Amino acid sequence: MIMFELDQRIAEQLSTISLNSSVQVRCGNSNAFMVTASTMLPLMQMFEMGGVYITASRGAVEIIQAFESIGVDVSNIQFIDLVSSGILGGTDVEYSNIHFVDSPIMLESVLLRTLYILRTTSSARNFVFIDSVNALAIYNEDRMLAEYLHTFINTFRQREVLSIILNVPDQTPPLVLSNLDLYCTDLVDRGQVVIH
Amino acid sequence: MRGGIPYGSTVLASGTCGSGKTTLAMEFLVRGALAGEACAHFTATEPSVKLLENIRQYAFFDMNMVDTGLINVFDMDVLYSWLGLDKSTFDLDDVHALIKSITDIVNTIGVTRLVIDSVTTLCYKIKSEQLIRDFLFTLGKKLATLGCTTILISEITSATENAHWSSFGVEEAIADGIVVMGDVERMGHLLRFLQVVKMRGTSHSRAKHAIELTPLGVMLTPMLKWGSQTDSANWGA
Repeated sequence: MIMFELDQRIAEQLSTISLNSSVQVRCGNSNAFMVTASTMLPLMQMFEMGGVYITASRGAVEIIQAFESIGVDVSNIQFIDLVSSGILGGTDVEYSNIHFVDSPIMLESVLLRTLYILRTTSSARNFVFIDSVNALAIYNEDRMLAEYLHTFINTFRQREVLSIILNVPDQTPPLVLSNLDLYCTDLVDRGQVVIH
Repeated sequence: MRGGIPYGSTVLASGTCGSGKTTLAMEFLVRGALAGEACAHFTATEPSVKLLENIRQYAFFDMNMVDTGLINVFDMDVLYSWLGLDKSTFDLDDVHALIKSITDIVNTIGVTRLVIDSVTTLCYKIKSEQLIRDFLFTLGKKLATLGCTTILISEITSATENAHWSSFGVEEAIADGIVVMGDVERMGHLLRFLQVVKMRGTSHSRAKHAIELTPLGVMLTPMLKWGSQTDSANWGA
């Protein structure tokens, strides 16, 4: 098992929020996984939540294995993988908790798939985690992505599902970033200094 | 739609191939059967056995619905043969015989939800536009009188802005409601959409909605405004 130091202040901050919150989590290139793990672990272990992890940055298998390498079982979390379907043979995986969407541009499909998973899950309290806005921004036009995040956050806020939106601020379009500041109720800032 | 499809309406579900028309129609029937309603499906596009096999994907489907007569599937080819209509073209008498046969079945079983899949295939045998109009108008009127809500599936080749909503251009004028289904192409990927163009008797959104076909049924969400147009308009291609 890899020794890994979590940022405990994130857990403290998360303990103050409610299910209908939407949290913008800012990270840098070098601390992305540490921030992700520091956010996910309290949700899964302290607050005993289930949830959906949407990954546009890396394949879900790689993320599951990264969690396994620090001794974290994520079999209770459902993953929506927007990356692997575009790679030949990328959907032939051994994990049953991975769902595939063809492409990061199928934004509405991601929303509907998430809603479907939440309707079939047994957890009473759930989160949705987007990893990450800057990865989605590679494929989607700024206005559409801003509109999508607005829809996404409000959809889950209404359903009392906690939404966590991960982004690397200096790789996120300014329009999207400023809209996130507006929509999100909370900010966990472990990002880099942004100079636009 | 606020309140769903009005009771006794005839709704045209028009869509391109693979857009989810049959799936939507089957869910309409299965939901009805779940509520204890007798339902019928007339299939002209695929054998009834194959159709029933496809409904099994639904988490809420139970084969008992078929065994107990709540869901009834009829092959149009069998019906044609039974009526002596094994021919390529239907005349006025044939059309009336077909209407009588369908309404007799509806009346006998007490069907309150009906699907004809597809009305396009059926109307190919009717050569006159006037006769198609009479057929659909009379059928719709008789079914409404019997308290039957009907979905007529229509196959179209394009669901974009300039497309017609029906194959023959007459179905849309007669239907109480029109639901269009198709695909928006976004950077080489097809995203299914559904749009309620018209629905007499109820208020409804006329916006495009993205849909996903899931074991829980058709799920939908409003399509992103910045991503609802096909190809070039949105992407500068």
